[in-house]
Amino acid sequence: MTALAIRQALEPDLFQEDFAAHAAALPGAGLAWLDKRRAEAMAAFASTGVPTRRVEAWKYTDLSAALAETLAPAVRVREPESTAGAFAEIPGTRLVFAGGFLHTVQDPEAGIDTVDLSTINSNTPGWVRDHLGVLAAGPEQPLGAASLALMRSGAAIRVRAANAALHLDFVNPFRRGDFVSHSRVLIVIEEGAALRLMESHTGEGTDQTLANIGMEFVLMPGAKLEHVRLQAEAPAVRHITSIGARLGRGAEYRALYAALGAHLSRLDIRIRLEGEGAQANLRNVAAPRSGIADITTVMDHASPHTTSRQLFKSVVGGTGRSVNQGRVLVREGAVKSDSHQLFRSLLLSPRAECDAKPELEIFADDVICGHGTAIGALDDNALFYLRSRGIPEPEAKDLLIRAFMEDAIGDFVDPAVHGALWRRLDGALTAMGRTET
Amino acid sequence: MSEMMLEIDDLHVTVDGKEILKGITLSIPAGEVHAVMGPNGSGKSTLSYTLAGREGYEITRGRILYRGEDLTQLAPEERAAKGMFLALQYPVEIPGVVTMTFLKTALNAQRRARGEPELDALKVLKLVRVKAKALNIGEDMLKRALNAGFSGGEKKRLEILQMAVFEPKMAILDETDSGLDIDALKLVAEGVNALRAPDRAMLVITHYQRLLSHIVPDRVHVLTKGRIVKSGGADLALELEAGGYERILEDA
Repeated sequence: MTALAIRQALEPDLFQEDFAAHAAALPGAGLAWLDKRRAEAMAAFASTGVPTRRVEAWKYTDLSAALAETLAPAVRVREPESTAGAFAEIPGTRLVFAGGFLHTVQDPEAGIDTVDLSTINSNTPGWVRDHLGVLAAGPEQPLGAASLALMRSGAAIRVRAANAALHLDFVNPFRRGDFVSHSRVLIVIEEGAALRLMESHTGEGTDQTLANIGMEFVLMPGAKLEHVRLQAEAPAVRHITSIGARLGRGAEYRALYAALGAHLSRLDIRIRLEGEGAQANLRNVAAPRSGIADITTVMDHASPHTTSRQLFKSVVGGTGRSVNQGRVLVREGAVKSDSHQLFRSLLLSPRAECDAKPELEIFADDVICGHGTAIGALDDNALFYLRSRGIPEPEAKDLLIRAFMEDAIGDFVDPAVHGALWRRLDGALTAMGRTET
Repeated sequence: MSEMMLEIDDLHVTVDGKEILKGITLSIPAGEVHAVMGPNGSGKSTLSYTLAGREGYEITRGRILYRGEDLTQLAPEERAAKGMFLALQYPVEIPGVVTMTFLKTALNAQRRARGEPELDALKVLKLVRVKAKALNIGEDMLKRALNAGFSGGEKKRLEILQMAVFEPKMAILDETDSGLDIDALKLVAEGVNALRAPDRAMLVITHYQRLLSHIVPDRVHVLTKGRIVKSGGADLALELEAGGYERILEDA
């Protein structure tokens, strides 16, 4: 063991210190079930601490090195600079989180129940108690575990309607110093219900804030979740979202994630296809230019006839780094599982980097599992083709970069989401194509 | 006398340090269609890429004049804006770019470079529709991603559609017949013939004679080992078909 490792093992990190000092004052402290889950989560977190590169799953993303020296626990913000999310024009119930705290609930719809987790108490409904802190809280998702142990705010949502729409608008207030926020979101979708979830993370400023979010999605049999997520924070932000999802029989999860901002962002996902015929279809687009955009998934096929698709695309410029890790696990008995993952990256500068690590662990017969990885520069043939038709080189490059991304987006979302996503993507990609030429 | 569209003079071209074209001289006046025929590896594609200005095709000697202007320093997009067009042997698939959007972007880029006003989406759509119909290209094809999943015939028809939309003065068709069945070949040839005009020249590059029964050239040049070894009228293509390249090589 090196001297540094010994020091870390002996010296509790800021999360453990925070827990030791404030556990008794956290929301819901004193509720036996929650105290227990928080304590277990803290122990799970402490098994790795703030991950360094020595933790295998964090080999490419050194969170420990990226955190500021001191990070004060976030405090509630009364008046954030903005409360508008990226999908503002699309109707739906709107939950605004400012600095990690649930700020407002707007346009509540029938069929969506919402509980503010900062006021959790003995009257909190049974479905919250049943599900909160069960997923995204184990040692394999240490930051998820920390988000539960140190949860200051968050929301629990239950969906009973067949066509509900929900916005989660995380806005980062700025010039408030470097703080760390721990928030949780629990979404339970009842049998046969369907939710369209639009999540965005936006904000300006230079604070080296760490937003640490844990999300749990519980899809009952036949439930559907369509998730669009845009992470477009300021370039200094550190962002970790851990998602734990559980899909019942015939349930469907479709997601498009976009990572455009932050100094370091990681989307750490574990999906358990628990019921027969459950399906998950994930798309990710990332455009890091100076920071790290990490997506790490574990797709757990636990039942027969389960299907998963993962298509991750990144355009990397400047000194940016794209990290794509995907583990597909097919458990014993999960026959006729069908899984595919494809990671594609476009490197636009000599210092751009991409790390891709697809893994398969198969313990069942009669399954289809495929994976592929392609990392490269813009295609010379395509560039020449466009230029030979009169399109100038910079414009041709822009067109190809956009096409590369659009290929993962175009057929996946409706025009309203498409428009809102591209408004953000356009800016990020234009800056990228032009600076590299 | 009609204007000289293309004058290639003693053109030597090196690719990856290897000389492929070893002194080609060829002139094409406006209104004429010339064919360059040659066996595999003779330098046909090198000639077409060099004319279009592709990077990596280094001119070590000689020059290319397009309407009297030396092209050799111009980028591919500048040549396109001046009225050069190359229909590729293997049109590139670009998923994520809608064909119609591509046509509009390219047409307007050319117009912008020439100082002409850009056309709005509706005008481009109208223009494209009329020309697409003649090539049996439906709306659905224009809405699909550029060449993505297109059949060989569809790709070649789209190349000819681009030629019809851009209205170049000098069109180079590189092995446009490759991968086409008889019906597709006829359709493409009709498209090309419809674009023959007194103020336009064409260079048809092909391995086989069969395309030249449909697009009858004014002159035929035989290219082997980087040189034009024989030139003649349309009959030369038939002669080649009958006797093969070997015979011509022996004679030359």
